[in-house]
Amino acid sequence: MFSSPLRNLAKALCAALLISCTSVSLAQDTATSNEREQTLLGVLRSDAPSAEKALACKNLAIYGSSAAVDDLAKLLPDPQLSSWARTSLEAIPGPEADAALREAAGTLDGRLLIGMINSIGVRQDAAAVTTLVERLQSEDAQVAAAAAVALGKIGDEAATSALRLALKNVASSDSSPVVTSAIAEGCVLCAERRYLAGELASAIEIYDEIRAAEVPTQRMVEATRGAILSRGEDGIDLLLETFRSDEKKLRQLALATAREFPGDGLDKALAKEIVQADPPRAALIIQVMADRPDTVVLDSIVQAATQGDRQVRLSAIDALRRVGDSSCLSVLLKAAAENDEDVNQAAKDTLAELPGNDVDAKIVERLRQADGDDYSVLLHLVAQRRIDAVEDVVKALANQDATVRQTALAALGQIVSLQRLSLLIDAVKQNDGGDDLEAATKALRAACVRMPDREACAAELAAALRSARAATKTTLLEIISEVGGETALKTIYAAAMSSDPQSQDDGSRLLGKWNGVDAAPSLLAIAKSGPAEKYQVRALRGYIGLARKFPMPEPQRASMCSQAFELARRADEQRLVLDVLKLHPSLEGLGVAVKAKQVPAVRSEASQATMVIAQKLGDKGINVTELLSGQGLDPVKLEIVHAEYGADGSFKDVTKEIKQQAGNLPLIMLSSANYNSSFGGDPVPGSPKQLRIEYVINGKTGKATFKENAMILLPMPE
Amino acid sequence: MSATPKRPQPLRRRRFLKTVASAAGAAVAAPTIIPSSALGRDGAVAPSERIVVGGIGIGRRGTYDLGCFLEQKDVQFAAVCDIKEKQRIGIKKRADEHYGNDQCAMYRDFRELLDRTDIDAVLIATGPNWHATAAMTAAKAGKDMYCEKPVTKNISQSLILAETMRRTGRVFQAGTQRRNLPHFAFACELARTGKLGKLKKVYAHPAGMQAMMSGWLPAETEPDPDVIDWDMYLGPAAWRPFNAKLLDGFNFEKGGGLVGGGVLEWGSHCVDLCQWAVDDCPPPVEYDAPKNGELVARYDNGTELIFREKGWIPLGSCPVRFEGEDGWVEAGDSGQMVLSSPELLAGRQVEEIGGYPATFHVRDFLDCVKSRRQPKGNAVAACNAHIACHAANIALHLDRQVKYDNVKNEFIDDEAANRLRSEALREPWRL
Repeated sequence: MFSSPLRNLAKALCAALLISCTSVSLAQDTATSNEREQTLLGVLRSDAPSAEKALACKNLAIYGSSAAVDDLAKLLPDPQLSSWARTSLEAIPGPEADAALREAAGTLDGRLLIGMINSIGVRQDAAAVTTLVERLQSEDAQVAAAAAVALGKIGDEAATSALRLALKNVASSDSSPVVTSAIAEGCVLCAERRYLAGELASAIEIYDEIRAAEVPTQRMVEATRGAILSRGEDGIDLLLETFRSDEKKLRQLALATAREFPGDGLDKALAKEIVQADPPRAALIIQVMADRPDTVVLDSIVQAATQGDRQVRLSAIDALRRVGDSSCLSVLLKAAAENDEDVNQAAKDTLAELPGNDVDAKIVERLRQADGDDYSVLLHLVAQRRIDAVEDVVKALANQDATVRQTALAALGQIVSLQRLSLLIDAVKQNDGGDDLEAATKALRAACVRMPDREACAAELAAALRSARAATKTTLLEIISEVGGETALKTIYAAAMSSDPQSQDDGSRLLGKWNGVDAAPSLLAIAKSGPAEKYQVRALRGYIGLARKFPMPEPQRASMCSQAFELARRADEQRLVLDVLKLHPSLEGLGVAVKAKQVPAVRSEASQATMVIAQKLGDKGINVTELLSGQGLDPVKLEIVHAEYGADGSFKDVTKEIKQQAGNLPLIMLSSANYNSSFGGDPVPGSPKQLRIEYVINGKTGKATFKENAMILLPMPE
Repeated sequence: MSATPKRPQPLRRRRFLKTVASAAGAAVAAPTIIPSSALGRDGAVAPSERIVVGGIGIGRRGTYDLGCFLEQKDVQFAAVCDIKEKQRIGIKKRADEHYGNDQCAMYRDFRELLDRTDIDAVLIATGPNWHATAAMTAAKAGKDMYCEKPVTKNISQSLILAETMRRTGRVFQAGTQRRNLPHFAFACELARTGKLGKLKKVYAHPAGMQAMMSGWLPAETEPDPDVIDWDMYLGPAAWRPFNAKLLDGFNFEKGGGLVGGGVLEWGSHCVDLCQWAVDDCPPPVEYDAPKNGELVARYDNGTELIFREKGWIPLGSCPVRFEGEDGWVEAGDSGQMVLSSPELLAGRQVEEIGGYPATFHVRDFLDCVKSRRQPKGNAVAACNAHIACHAANIALHLDRQVKYDNVKNEFIDDEAANRLRSEALREPWRL
């Protein structure tokens, strides 16, 4: 009846939850469209299962022609296959498909009829208008509603007239709210079509009819939007009226429509409106004004930012961030000095981003003449805007006011170049124990981590170390570690291996949390021959951390783990190594874990790690039998009797899922570490759950309970 | 690229600012659209000023999203709709515990939830089968919405979605939360504002380039609709018998017809970011057949959008990379990015937020509900990104190049491709 590829394709559809379409695509078939169509029609005409017919419909959406319409039409009354058939009929060009849908719409009812009407709407079949108009009167409100929307999608003169007439009648008829809403929706679609076609008078007429009718608020919203936009400049009054509406949704609409309204007439009107509107509305309108940057009336926003209601001021100050310029500096600086925390913070935020090419220069001008509170605000602005004004900021370091000095230091942290970094290094050194030390340190750190050339930066800091006092050395070493790179690494290693106890502590601590594998050789060297045992342990832990954290070839990781395990003198560090091996399973790592079983203190953990690694490798198809042989990990005969997952007396049977994952080790690795994911959802949301398993290992029965998401390692039954 | 990359430099050492609010004045952070106090969202919020939210299809992802909503003081979560009784009860319990009352209403049919006039906005976190249909039904009911991705099943739905949101004036936020994360925003800004030079290539990780479709599995006994409403679960998807394996809403009918699946899954995030990098211009006009794990598409100006499976710097999931004539940037879900040169930072500080939280995206949505601005993941942006994904899937399905006309919204002289632009909705659903 049909080709074997298609038969296979249909079987695959039945068999799999998700199947690859590329594997089943007909696209690579060399058959012509006509041949494909005939093959697919063969399926429809056969006694093939519905699943196969469904897929044939899907493909006929691509390869079907008018020749397929009759066969597809026969499926339209079938509740199971109707929508599959409509997918094809919606796609097949030509009047035959339209006719089939119309015909079915004349014979079907209920949901199937609604499907036909919806498809007619999608195809915008003007020949169906008469049928649809009749259906507007259907006693089934859902059918009538579908007809109304379909007429709206068709939107020609006949459809529009019918809908307008129906709209007029809604007040006098007893049509259901569903139908009324759909009639209004259809009318909106008709009006929209005219608006987009430039038939504005016609569009306005329809929109206004909807607004005058008793329709749901959302339909009123849509009609009002159209009525405003269709009127052009003449729509401003209606827009303002809508702003003042008592209906929240209409006010919301006005805010959105004002953003898409063309021309500059509206901006002048909005500038007047914010003076009259109550504060909450004025605040929102100001945001609209700022979203019209090409035509905004800036003076009005500046005025609102200067004085008046606090909520309105906050909105205006914020709006200046988008549309302000250097002319707003005075107002904003004044606001930034106010006691009201919200106002001064809003002003500072806006000043930091105030647009305009001349804003930076004007801020520097003011900085040169500043004193008092303004001084700190301007220094902070220099930092935020990263204005190149180092010399002007340096002058502030001598100011008697600590706030000014510390703000100046923070500013330097944002603007100094490498060539002027010594300014901050000196500030740290000279303030050892002084009031400005914290600010100087923060500034130096901020400057160093943003330097493009980190090697040069680290070298400058390293040079400063030589003449620094003990506490400052610690600070500088910490900053060097944040800079990173080769020079930094060498400097910190040298400190860790020096004869100075404080530097040893600092160096080993900083290397221990180094964020890169490049520190591995240094950490290993300290672990082997560091100046004190505590630093050796610290370095070893850092070294193990690198193996855990960073991507690297698995042989390299296993080698690091092996060296770390050999060096470790305590079980704590040996366990850390085993954790790394479990996290990154590899054949090489398996060898390390197997060897670790010889150490009595961690034998149990090493056995567990061996099983975890073996299971994960086995899942990837790697044969580990030989390596495990003789290691006390001979495969077991495991049988799962029953498994359940849940809480509070509500348990879900997960025997099947556990059985699927059970192998020949007493360890069960689920598809996800998350039990809920592995077992198809959370059986008792919000409650801590348990997994209970009954099993048989080598003929002996056992039971075990695991907390949610715990590793499933089945104890060997007694 | 004319400039050789100097030194790829992970920015993990540049951790400065701990909160988005404090970063607002620096470089890249979730924007404060209106000062919080102006919108009444700091401190206690009067009930009349709260945004009343309902949840539709609150499963695993929705539960996470719900958490982001609940932590906002100006949100009142009032109702949940789910076709699964267990989910309804679980979510009601969580909401009631949060508010210390028992007022979260439960619905099986989301139309009843939409009929409530007190609900301002909805969180739509159903499976992708329902996203577009539920979103447009919600818009026509006068609700604003935060809708999880992928938002649409085909090109036609994408266009109708954008059109419906425009016509109804509703605020729509797609669940493309990476648009509100600082490092992704900064990377896109570099590309968009010419800091990388003339943009040559933008790369997106599709997370699998095999199109998938949901099957028709052997019939099982259909559960009581009060427990699992199979008819509502199918919703706009073509009919098939109940089978519990199909209740994986995350994958069910993703992309709908013959051409959904992989490119759409992460594409709706990664391509969305690429679209932002090209200033949200219309989607590419040419899509080649996939080759060696890459599918190349071209924008009208010649910039290439490349769906690439491999070759990424390890920066976590959903990576993107933008290459211009003067530099490049790559970013991923770790919160980190790598630049061709640190000079691209221009002294700016970019907050690292890993784990792709949706909190800022939800906040952006709520602010826009109040201000009526367009949120970052608005319907037009989502429409363009999804069209790019759907068109790529069509090229993948047909295994040949397709060319798309962004004005006519059709493939050029390509009937097979054009027929894959849409799919009928099962009765009684319509867009």
